[in-house]
Amino acid sequence: MAIVHFSSNLSQYTGGLETVSIEASRVGELLRALEQRFPDLSGHLESVAVAIDGVIYNDATYQSIPPDSEIHLLPPVSGG
Amino acid sequence: MLSIRYEAPRSIAEAIHLLASDPGAHVLAGGTDLLVQFRAGAKQPSAFIDVKRIPDLVGISLDTNGLRLGAATPAAAICEHAELGRLWPGLVEAVHLIGSAQIQGRGSVGGNLCNASPAADTTSALIADRAECVIAGPGGERVVPAERFCTGPGTTILRRDELLVAVVLPRPPARTADAYFRLIPRSEMDIAVAGAGASVTLDASGTCTAARVAVGAVAPTALLVDAAGQALIGTRLDEATLSLAAAAASAAARPISDKRGTAAYRRHVVGVLAKRAIVSAAARARER
Amino acid sequence: MSARTYRYIGTRPIRHDGLDKVTGRANYGADFTLPGLLQGVVVRSPHAHARIVSIETQAAEAVPGVKAVITGKDIPETSARLALGAEGAFDLHDIGDNLMAHGKALYEGHAVAAVAATSIDAAREAAKLVRVVYEPLEPVMSIERAIAPDAPILHADMVTKGRPLPGTTGPTNIAGRMELKRGDVDQAFAGADVVVEREFRTSTVHQGYIEPHACVARSGEDGQILVWCSTQGGFIARDFCALILGIDAARIKVIPSEIGGGFGGKIPVYLEPVAIVLSHKAGRPVKMVMSRSEVFRASGPTSGTRIRMKLGAKRDGTIVAAQASLWYEAGAYRGSPSGAGAMCCLASYAIPNFFVEAHDVVVNKPKVAAYRAPGSPMATFATESLVDEVARAIGMDPIELRLKNAVAEGDHAPYGPVYGPIGLKQVLEAARAHPHWSAPLGPSQGRGVACGFWFNAGLSSSATVTLNGDGSAGVVTGNPDIGGTRVAQAMMVAEELGIPVERVRPSVADTDTAGYTDLTGGSRVCYATGMAVIRAAQDIAEQLRSRAATIWNVDRDRVAWEPGRPGRVIALDESPDGSVRPPLTIVELASKMAQTGGPIVGRAAVNAPMAGPGFAAHICDLDVDKETGRSTVARYTAIQDVGKAVHPSFVEGQMQGGAAQGIGWALNEEYIYDADGVMENAGFLDYRMPVASDLPMIDTVLVEVANPLHPYGVRGVGEVPIVPPLAAVANAMRDATGVRFTELPLSPSRVLEGLGTIAKG
Repeated sequence: MAIVHFSSNLSQYTGGLETVSIEASRVGELLRALEQRFPDLSGHLESVAVAIDGVIYNDATYQSIPPDSEIHLLPPVSGG
Repeated sequence: MLSIRYEAPRSIAEAIHLLASDPGAHVLAGGTDLLVQFRAGAKQPSAFIDVKRIPDLVGISLDTNGLRLGAATPAAAICEHAELGRLWPGLVEAVHLIGSAQIQGRGSVGGNLCNASPAADTTSALIADRAECVIAGPGGERVVPAERFCTGPGTTILRRDELLVAVVLPRPPARTADAYFRLIPRSEMDIAVAGAGASVTLDASGTCTAARVAVGAVAPTALLVDAAGQALIGTRLDEATLSLAAAAASAAARPISDKRGTAAYRRHVVGVLAKRAIVSAAARARER
Repeated sequence: MSARTYRYIGTRPIRHDGLDKVTGRANYGADFTLPGLLQGVVVRSPHAHARIVSIETQAAEAVPGVKAVITGKDIPETSARLALGAEGAFDLHDIGDNLMAHGKALYEGHAVAAVAATSIDAAREAAKLVRVVYEPLEPVMSIERAIAPDAPILHADMVTKGRPLPGTTGPTNIAGRMELKRGDVDQAFAGADVVVEREFRTSTVHQGYIEPHACVARSGEDGQILVWCSTQGGFIARDFCALILGIDAARIKVIPSEIGGGFGGKIPVYLEPVAIVLSHKAGRPVKMVMSRSEVFRASGPTSGTRIRMKLGAKRDGTIVAAQASLWYEAGAYRGSPSGAGAMCCLASYAIPNFFVEAHDVVVNKPKVAAYRAPGSPMATFATESLVDEVARAIGMDPIELRLKNAVAEGDHAPYGPVYGPIGLKQVLEAARAHPHWSAPLGPSQGRGVACGFWFNAGLSSSATVTLNGDGSAGVVTGNPDIGGTRVAQAMMVAEELGIPVERVRPSVADTDTAGYTDLTGGSRVCYATGMAVIRAAQDIAEQLRSRAATIWNVDRDRVAWEPGRPGRVIALDESPDGSVRPPLTIVELASKMAQTGGPIVGRAAVNAPMAGPGFAAHICDLDVDKETGRSTVARYTAIQDVGKAVHPSFVEGQMQGGAAQGIGWALNEEYIYDADGVMENAGFLDYRMPVASDLPMIDTVLVEVANPLHPYGVRGVGEVPIVPPLAAVANAMRDATGVRFTELPLSPSRVLEGLGTIAKG
């Protein structure tokens, strides 16, 4: 089970829930599971960056999620 | 479609004639202001009258009476002239502040005067040094003090058919020296937020016998501040006197607030600069 | 990784593009020309906010030499608000409207029409004859005005994205809002021994790259489009053009020129799609070059900000609570880096309780673009100023205080994820040990220190390495070289293949030649593209093993690659006759390429995760003339965790350049507007960036805490160094004058106002 932490921006769509345990082996699977559990999240996960145990991935639909990972969903940042 | 005439007269008379015969003609010296204004669309002359090939307008002559600077003499030539730097260190410092090395290779003191920027560094220094402007026109020459040459931002007493030919300075008497200070936020490549020039004459005991203070960028034109100079005469330039002179410079200022500084800032800082210029000029005078 | 010793990484070879650049031979955006070239000029709005009533172009079209005139009608007004990959912030509708106003001019300088003619004079004259009727509207030039209840609304359809303020309904100028929180802030402040709170302001500032935007576009009769331009990414320029104009990316080839600085400002497109449309209409190639004034008024500066922040600490120096409200100007369209500011501003410290809210506010200024660690410097200015206040309040050395609270591996970043190996503590220790920190100060001087953080991007990159018959090699990537990345890539190939750097030719290729590569930005090139280059070189080594196996007629797994100088392949077994096989060097194998199977080309592509957090600490000594308010940086030291410096000279150059830009931001740079919203200082004379003589030699200290995500331990280095200077300078000003300045820039008049010498005005 991965523990997903929601930012304050996203927790407005989870009924205020700030963390949730989700069973998922890859990022895309995880995001779909989250949208199923919290339908209001739909449309707000399209461009998120996903941090898995501190490593931040962009466009990481097929990135695998190790068991017991700590997941954060972040707005994408690139830079100048 | 855009056509512009270029003339390079060889004599003052020829230049005057060209100016008189074309109301849209504009005198070109180094071009460091004019060409920028032209490219920005601020000035659209019908002709450039390049005066750099007129022998009388280019050159430095120094004799027992004083100095004659051809109006189009490049700033670099002034900066490199050892004797000028010894006699008028403040003026040469002011000239050296103009633009960059490249700009100083083209730009001239006469051009700096004729551009009539209230912030022109050389103008305050020239006023402090009792400079006079030699003007040629169809009817011959006239001479006006530097402090009367500019009449407002971008305007001078020159009539359309007149030409600034030279700037003349009297040779400084014994124990006389000048200095010029300006304030820019950077260290170079900038335009004065305020500037002050001073010329101070001391007697053998160190008492001030003559003084002139001029300020720039704090009024529509550079100003001769008589009250500041008068405050110094007869004193030994003690701290209280210097503060009086600084206050006189601030009081004479009629600054505006703009992108380069607020009116309150300019009024204050021109006093600081005037005081620094007086102190520096006096220190130099003591060494003579 | 730490055990690896390098032959080339960490050395300082001469960059391959150096001679051309210092001799003026290198070709920049404006250097390109073609037969039949037309000159394009943009007509710009003189109003900061105005409805466009009508545009008449007949008079302009009648000017002799004019070949095309276009207006907003010629730039498709897409309703698509498509995000492009990882660059999620881009909104195509807004980009198109920013290229050429469709209904409203939203800032002074906003493009409303463009002209192409056979000469620049004809184009300029025609531009003057484009008759635009405006209905001027009140310009919204500040956050205060933008959020006032009666403020004019810039975009009638704008709603707040993210987490809107409660009760927000109807159209607004607040384009976005985000929150970050942890713990119980109110309780933590109640239990703090010291609480400091202030409001900070920073001005709109520009990157100030020396080279203005420039391009040449040729739209052919066959629909094929060529674009030469100065850009931070050929592919991003190509994709923007394709998406905005609604054409296939395959029809556009972008050839990036050498680039004279970008700092984030050359990520967006301003001229390229306009030049394509003009070229299409005129049937001839079109060149467009911005003036400096246009660069200031119509490209993307970074946000002016207003930030209220509060810190609470225990008497022992432990920071227990932070609260911040960030307001960032986005310019005319949504997309300020306020969110990044919120994520960065507390990233240096392990603070158990915080609440940060960040607002993205539209105003009638040019749309902001990325600028080196976008969003971080302003918010960090607030944080690091307050940390300085806390240190003063409790009488603790400011570096000790920072060390006490500094994040380390295992701490969670304020934006969520856990930190891996990071170097902030090592950086602070190096700062404390540096002779600068203990050097005596002059009578009019003060000293300040500040930290800074930036994420550092990853993103997608490709690389191709080709082996030549003589054993030399070429490496091709798609990243315009801004900071010395070409030589760094050659060094990586040299390291992997064991051939001298001078025998590797690095090339920046066009979009037909290189594999897809994201932009040069986010401090990502040496890290992410470098990763692709290393893997492509390793691909070569793998192929060399196969070729040796062919020559020796053994299985490939009985052959090993031995990096050496030169790299070589060794046989693990003796030959059938019992003799030892002499190793085959890369040079020998290269000479036998044709016989062993043909050319050897190594390829690799990556989508790299973000490059690992970068931290820096800067020390600034400021000499303040209290009579004039003028200040001079007397000494400056930049210390940074760079992961692994591939070419230390360019890493140091990044640190010095970032510091110089940050010092300019702190001391004198600002957009100055008149009451009508017209920029008054759109040139380098009065937009006062530091000149060389304004700065001392900036000392640098490289701290190397390896990034586990990269084979050499490389981190991004280019952006972090602009983050600390704003507060380092302001803290030095506080030290020199006894006055806390909270508004930048610290221009001479503002300093005298702060000292009480003159009235505010």
